[in-house]
Amino acid sequence: MKLFVLVVISCVSIYVGYLCSKKYKVRANFFQAMVYLCQKFDVEINYSRERVKNIFLGLDEKQKNKLKGIDINYLSFIDKEAPLEKAMLFKDINFLKEEEKDLIFMFFKGLGRSDVDSQSKEIKNFQNRFETLSANANNENKKYGSLSIKLGFIAGLFILVVFI
Amino acid sequence: MLKKILPNDIYEIINSKVNYKVVNEIRLRADKPIVLILGSQRVFLGQNGITNNLKYAIYSSKIMVEDVIFRASECSIYSVNEQLKKGYLVTKGGIRLGIGGDLIEEAGKVKTMTNFNSVNIRLPHEIKNCSLSAFNYIVQNNGILNTLIISPPGAGKTTFLRDFVCQLSERNYAYNVLVLDERGEFDLGASGSIGNFADKISFASKKIGFENGIRSLSPNLIVTDELGQKEDVEAVLYATNSGVSVLASAHSDTLENFIKKPSFEELISNKIFKRYILLSQRNGPGTMEGIYDENFSRLR
Repeated sequence: MKLFVLVVISCVSIYVGYLCSKKYKVRANFFQAMVYLCQKFDVEINYSRERVKNIFLGLDEKQKNKLKGIDINYLSFIDKEAPLEKAMLFKDINFLKEEEKDLIFMFFKGLGRSDVDSQSKEIKNFQNRFETLSANANNENKKYGSLSIKLGFIAGLFILVVFI
Repeated sequence: MLKKILPNDIYEIINSKVNYKVVNEIRLRADKPIVLILGSQRVFLGQNGITNNLKYAIYSSKIMVEDVIFRASECSIYSVNEQLKKGYLVTKGGIRLGIGGDLIEEAGKVKTMTNFNSVNIRLPHEIKNCSLSAFNYIVQNNGILNTLIISPPGAGKTTFLRDFVCQLSERNYAYNVLVLDERGEFDLGASGSIGNFADKISFASKKIGFENGIRSLSPNLIVTDELGQKEDVEAVLYATNSGVSVLASAHSDTLENFIKKPSFEELISNKIFKRYILLSQRNGPGTMEGIYDENFSRLR
């Protein structure tokens, strides 16, 4: 019985390590998707003047998953179901820092508000900043993501060794 | 569509407390009361519907004006910039917005419009059979006569043209009709139609639309709105010289004032149009004041 409890506890600690690493992975994927979104906007706006809503709806499932629902939250503003507010835009999104939220909020707030040239320049500007954030998030993921898993594993092993 | 572009509270009042069918225009100006145009009557919009008392009027703000235009562009101002440069915007359902704001010029050309401060929402209404009383004057045994509809703004020119195209379709006339919809005003969405036998070219200038349409769609009749520029007159001459009939409209309040317009001199002196139909708002949009022949002799 004792052995079983110890195994469960060590598994839990490994799982906690995995969860911590996942946060970094989600952040890295999110900013990668934001960069992709900017690129897509730039192309679609310049080429076909495609409407904002259609650009979001045209995203592939993989990118949509990476955006963690921020696209759906924004579409509810476009569909007049909710005002464009930070709390609404970042509903159920808890892996972003406050200054990152401010930046992303500004990005969404400016979408569709100007002519092609201005919009394109603005998007390029945001794309640069998202690329920096994406690079940082990737580094964090490599550094702390794998570290979290390792720490979880070591903690689990430590519990087993100490109590057996 | 109106629901999508107006603020929810304003839409609710109009929808529940105003007879939508008689509203022709909704005018929003920054920090001014919201004005409704019902036929030739101007009233304010209040919490309880229409009012003549300024004290009860609802005021619109600059943010409200900007939001209406943003919504009307489907949250994509960049996609309607060409229209904004000309001071208007047409939504999918055919609602026309006249827009006031700052025009930005660069190297002598209008680049865009910003700092919106007023918007005039013109609501299209389908008036079924409004062209019927003129139908037999336009359609004759030897074909469709070149016809010009003359009226002041908001008197039902587009409605007349749309209904005429529909009547041709309903009566199964074997004409290929090309609707050249320069400003996207013919589209009434689900509530209206241009019939089953009409092709449509949208958002092209009359010159390009006429030339391309005649080459590629071989129409018997071209229907278009609002002639005014010299190029428009040239496009009409190109069509009539190609054996294609033209049904068009032009702005003017009276026949006398129309005849004085220099841009139409060539069309009038060469008797290109065989019929002139004068509309007014006297008894509401679409009131027919008279039908005239090429010599401006009254037929009806």
